[in-house]
Amino acid sequence: MKEEHKQEYKQKYEQAKQDGVKFWPDIIYKDLLVSFGLFILLVGLVTFVGIHPEAKADPSDTSYIPRPEWYFLFLFEFLKFVPGKIEWVGTTLIPALAVLALLALPFLDKNHLRHWKNRLTGISIMGVVVLGMVGLTVRSVITTPEQAEGSAANTIQDQMVLGQEIYSVYCVECHGPDGEGGIIAGVEGLEGVDLKSISSKDEMYTRSDETLENIAAFGQQDLGMPPYGLAYGGELKKTELESVVTFMRYTWDDRVELPEDASSAGAIPEIKEFEVPSYEIHISRIVQRYCISCHRPEKENNNYLMQTYQEMLTTGDNQGNNLIAGDLNSYMLLTNKGISILDPVSGEEIIQQMPPTKLMKDEYIHLFEIWVLNGMPETAAEAEALTAAGQEE
Amino acid sequence: MAQSIFTWLDERLGLTEIYDTILDRKVPKVNWWFTLGSASLFLGLLQGITGMMLSVYYVPTPDHAYDSITYIMTGVQFGWLIRGLHHWGASLLILTAFFHLLRVFFYGAYKYPREFTWFTGVFLMIGALGMGFTGYLLPWNQRSYWATTVGSEIAGTVPVVGDFILRVLRGGTDLSAVTLSRFFAMHIWILPAVIIATVCAHLYLVIRLGISNIPDRDS
Repeated sequence: MKEEHKQEYKQKYEQAKQDGVKFWPDIIYKDLLVSFGLFILLVGLVTFVGIHPEAKADPSDTSYIPRPEWYFLFLFEFLKFVPGKIEWVGTTLIPALAVLALLALPFLDKNHLRHWKNRLTGISIMGVVVLGMVGLTVRSVITTPEQAEGSAANTIQDQMVLGQEIYSVYCVECHGPDGEGGIIAGVEGLEGVDLKSISSKDEMYTRSDETLENIAAFGQQDLGMPPYGLAYGGELKKTELESVVTFMRYTWDDRVELPEDASSAGAIPEIKEFEVPSYEIHISRIVQRYCISCHRPEKENNNYLMQTYQEMLTTGDNQGNNLIAGDLNSYMLLTNKGISILDPVSGEEIIQQMPPTKLMKDEYIHLFEIWVLNGMPETAAEAEALTAAGQEE
Repeated sequence: MAQSIFTWLDERLGLTEIYDTILDRKVPKVNWWFTLGSASLFLGLLQGITGMMLSVYYVPTPDHAYDSITYIMTGVQFGWLIRGLHHWGASLLILTAFFHLLRVFFYGAYKYPREFTWFTGVFLMIGALGMGFTGYLLPWNQRSYWATTVGSEIAGTVPVVGDFILRVLRGGTDLSAVTLSRFFAMHIWILPAVIIATVCAHLYLVIRLGISNIPDRDS
């Protein structure tokens, strides 16, 4: 900048100061007002929008769609336009040049004029760049697919429910619904293996949460337990494994006490006298805990699936005999009591006791009986109507 | 009495002088866009204060980072508020700083005699983005883990030194406890130190040169 321009600017600035205001209080007052407004805005955002809950980092879960903080999205999106060999142009050259240009701006723009109408080129370049950044950010938001909601179970209550669910599906067929173990029946490759209990004091007092999680993740492959963690070829994410461990710890370890608000989670409600149980509230939960581990597709189960109400009534090789409304000789009720079903012609056993390793609590066996006697109501409303009708008689 | 205490302090600390040079000075009449700088300063201070509070409970290890934040959110009195302010404040700070930059650009305020103020400002913008990048990993959740994986991968594509940068960022070939430790140190010690020093230089220049005026048509 030429000396005369410098002098000219200084003069003008002095004049502007003369015509201006005092820093205190005129400017400070505006600053404080804006800062205060922003603070209120922040408190509002925190209170009413909050922070989106996220699951714990899981290096094995490569299905997660990476998304940077919103102010890096434009850069992230920009890189999609420079793929492959010239990637470095987008990741290095252009950002480096942009930063350099920004830093060197006072040298690049030697024009002494300041009003925007006298700097149309510069203003337009900046305008295009900013519009481009906004456009790329919007494009990134629109084109990034919605992240499948991960199971972000953060409270003990959520973890208990999730853990119970996963334990029922993946663990019960060998370890039993209460971790009691015993002789494995009906599991391919492990038939007849005698498993020790995993819910005993010995186990609970000597295995830390980390050990339990590692066992679930890697398995005990020499002993026949397959790996369940994603990292070792299984299906379970880290959060899911942790939930199973939480479920085991709070259910079987007598040193820990379940917080009160979490104790009701996933519990099977008791029935009162004369109350008719329903699939919705009672049976589905018992089935979930004791049966589903084997009675789902691709397991050895005489093709009898129990994942839904419909499946329970209509699938299986012995379909028609498993559940008969009002019939105490329904196969399910007999096997639940430990009576195996024999083929009427050959006399061979076609169904063993159920569950195979250990019968359910009497309370649950009884609940199934009342349910079958009352025609196996599906919904809570149906069961309630039956209860009311029964009490009228 | 109060007068004599003030005089005693003033003689030794130069309070009147500070008041005269910083507060009681004439500046050009400006508009509301000129509050963006002080708004960024305010948000920066808020980030500092809430950040210090968070560091009381936060544990920078893969085993405990996530749980320590869950504890801050559920177990600590007003922990949700402090973390929420830090979380949202970061986004808002980036916005105010960016608009501040655009305002300075639009009025040509980076020109003589404020070139150096502009340099320090650009450095501060980069510093703020650095804080955003390093802070993003600290909650150690899925979002932060994978964003940092990709972010450091991008740094790894720099010609010649890319692999070196990648390993410096991650402290190895993969994201690990070392990465978290390094990002934490960057986030709470190294970057803040650099940023505080640069903010001081920036403010010194703003006070020394005075805030710019709104240019008229023939300037």
